[in-house]
Amino acid sequence: MKHRIFLLVALICLCAVSVVAVAQTSTKRSPNNSKPTPTRTAPGSQTEGEKRFQANCGRCHNPPEDISPREARAVVRHMRVRAMLSAEDEKLILEFFAP
Amino acid sequence: MVARFLSVFMLALIGFTGASAQSNVPILSGGAGFFSATQGGATFFQPVVAPVLAVPLGEKWLIESRADLRGFISRENGTTGPYQGRFFGTLEYLQLDYNANSHLTITAGRYLTPFGIFNERLSAIWINKFQDAPIISAIGTAAGYSDGFMLRGALISNRRYAVNYTAYFSTLSTITKFESERTTGGRVGVFVPGTRLEVGTSYQRKLQNQRMNSFGTDVSWAPYHLPLEIKGEWAHSLSGHGYWIQGAYRLSQLGGGNSAIARLEPVFRMQQFFRSQHIAGDSLPSTNMRRPEFGLNYYLPHEIRLNASYGRQFISHSTDVNVWEFGITYRFLFPLWPGESK
Repeated sequence: MKHRIFLLVALICLCAVSVVAVAQTSTKRSPNNSKPTPTRTAPGSQTEGEKRFQANCGRCHNPPEDISPREARAVVRHMRVRAMLSAEDEKLILEFFAP
Repeated sequence: MVARFLSVFMLALIGFTGASAQSNVPILSGGAGFFSATQGGATFFQPVVAPVLAVPLGEKWLIESRADLRGFISRENGTTGPYQGRFFGTLEYLQLDYNANSHLTITAGRYLTPFGIFNERLSAIWINKFQDAPIISAIGTAAGYSDGFMLRGALISNRRYAVNYTAYFSTLSTITKFESERTTGGRVGVFVPGTRLEVGTSYQRKLQNQRMNSFGTDVSWAPYHLPLEIKGEWAHSLSGHGYWIQGAYRLSQLGGGNSAIARLEPVFRMQQFFRSQHIAGDSLPSTNMRRPEFGLNYYLPHEIRLNASYGRQFISHSTDVNVWEFGITYRFLFPLWPGESK
């Protein structure tokens, strides 16, 4: 019983810290400081690479917050094997991450 | 012996990679986490590090690996006594991939057994919406890992639909840290990109001891217009059959993408297993079991995720228990050395 109370208190503390951290990050973040961060938007104004990324990778996991161009090749090659992407998918997604 | 093999392998890898194109920068990715669970009054803690290494070699080759380094801290007698810890290290995959053409990748080494969708796609600690694997995940996966070779790829891929496949053969191995069973099998899936709906079916034939077949079906749907994910599997073997179905809804439509509430994701999973006959070492519950679970995930900036869940486990001929789980995961990704930007 004591452990459950302890875990509950720990969770509440974690949530409180999280909310404060989110609030601080939201106020500090500038709108143009990040690499492509794909969001779950309907196809329309996206590039073909972004569409392929959303269709194939984004359905299993959130995209990494930040992928630099030099990391992109290894990430996308890894995803080609994992998600059974075609060579065309790999090329377009790589262009999206490392234009 | 294994340590020596891995050392030589890593040295050869570094040498080969250094000689290849500079743009093929290897990455170290993965996740780290700390989990706690209370099941039937017994509490245990698990610090975990799960590094992923991906080393592209030239235009067609890739070496990739994932390990799971995990501590298990619990009370000596379950619910009483001092806490004690044990350490487990598992090499989950270490494989060499060759992209032969647009439709075929040839894989050799140790790989995640491709049965259903959980083992290959969702088992990573930073992806899985709950801490633990579904009850039926042991069906058709032969402990999760296989040593041998595999063919995989997209048989057909166009804007309207894609047909993907895997086919593999795994050999019997009793080498420490490289244990695997002699099996063969595969999976075929049909994916519709326009709706992000995929349906797949899996098969495995065990070729040692009690030879048996396992079958499975899986579904995955993540519509574009809603931050919703629905995934599920059904699997059958001589041991029994069962299913899990999971829904996750990210509240990103509330208060804007970066608001505090938009980072919250309620998750629900229902799973059930029906025992047919007892088969030693099948890693499945000994009797019928069902377990509804409800969880909350909270996505913090910098790839940190908090999760909490509650489940009620109903076991035939035994006492039902509550399952409480809390955890934090951190996902990391960085290049192993500098390289050209493209």
